[in-house]
Amino acid sequence: MIELRKDQLHIRFPELHPQARMSIDFQRTLRIPDDGKDYPLPAGLGRFPLRHVDDFGPDVPERWLEHGGVMLPMYQSEALWINFAGGYPFAVKIAAGKIDAVTGKTWSNSLHRHPQNYVTVPEQPWLDGYCVAKGVIRQFVAMPLGSGYSAEEQLTGEAEHGGLQIVAYPLKRDVYEEWAAKRQAVFSKSFTPMLAMRCTGVPDMGLAPGGRMRQEIYDDPFKLTDWDPEHAARCFVHIANSQVWRAITGEAPPTVPLTAREYKRNGIPWFEYYSDGKAVEGSGVLDRLKSIAQFATGQRDEPLSDNDSVEIDRIVVLRQGLEKGQVREGRF
Amino acid sequence: MPKGFGDYVRRCREALREQDRSYSVRQVAQRVGVEPSFLSKVERGEVPPPSEAKILALAQELGEDPDVLLALAGKVSSDLQQAILKRPELFATLIRELKDMPDRAVLRLVREVRDGKW
Repeated sequence: MIELRKDQLHIRFPELHPQARMSIDFQRTLRIPDDGKDYPLPAGLGRFPLRHVDDFGPDVPERWLEHGGVMLPMYQSEALWINFAGGYPFAVKIAAGKIDAVTGKTWSNSLHRHPQNYVTVPEQPWLDGYCVAKGVIRQFVAMPLGSGYSAEEQLTGEAEHGGLQIVAYPLKRDVYEEWAAKRQAVFSKSFTPMLAMRCTGVPDMGLAPGGRMRQEIYDDPFKLTDWDPEHAARCFVHIANSQVWRAITGEAPPTVPLTAREYKRNGIPWFEYYSDGKAVEGSGVLDRLKSIAQFATGQRDEPLSDNDSVEIDRIVVLRQGLEKGQVREGRF
Repeated sequence: MPKGFGDYVRRCREALREQDRSYSVRQVAQRVGVEPSFLSKVERGEVPPPSEAKILALAQELGEDPDVLLALAGKVSSDLQQAILKRPELFATLIRELKDMPDRAVLRLVREVRDGKW
């Protein structure tokens, strides 16, 4: 089952195991420059608000009600990352516009190993974008659905789905119990880290590939058959343009995101994350997509303001599992 | 004075400290915004649990469920209090009806995120 509490999706299967639970939230963040350089991880700047689409029936597109799920507001060209937390292992499939963010293939509910079309929690603490190469992602950046920039539109030629799609499968109970017994110290908690008018237009946003970032998608340490296909929780996360969020919900959207210049001026650090886990290969399909800046050149469009390269002056290194004496510092 | 609160906090903190020395009484107290000597007394059950705000900060710091920590401290979070005060009769009846039901039955009442046709 999935519940929405304090802008966070809580997934749990109490009938499977009391510990079978995890949470997912969506973090506001800096849109890194889309300049061909590889950047470290930017900080999380707070959770996006999440609301049940059912609560705003008359004001959201009918399609959203058909999909069910939740919605969040994003400004055009704003970035997000997905934050996973929990100690019980889960295989989590993430798609944007029903394009798998790890393989670039069209959405299916099922898990596949070759190529791996999911991330594993708790190994994978975050996902910031489309996996375009081994150890490199292109940041999730919101663009209006229909403008042609999203991965969905570039790959299918259609602006049909938008949003994010998520399905989570827990580890089977017996496999978990064996794994938990072997594991001396479960320290997943350390990954918990720490952004009046009527709606007349289409509020849908899609996620386009933005700037390049160093982030590994970890290979599944379990066997494919260790995941429990009988227990799955699925959620459609609709992305509403922040400009119409107030018209839909009556609530103010979060403030306009920081620019790279403001980020630097405020001395907010960047992050590198290291884990012993092996990284999966990137998706050739996703790597061939045009980034927003590349796509805009062909369109004579300038959708990205403040896209100048930035100099990285402070990187905080985070490691999976902490050694004695190492000070824990999460993304914030 | 609720006896289990301090003991629970101490056990959670010490489990974390085995992996990360920044979970000393001093450093946790600093991050939560209380005096180390106060946190130490709370853990030993020598003083009553701190305010709701500090308990919430402790829950965040220790990665624990805030409602569980509040309950151990004999408190109910202010958002829940407001919800009950809005419809006291209804919630009193509801809680009395549910108090002996198994977890799974209670969970059926929790609002799930609805999945539709994609």
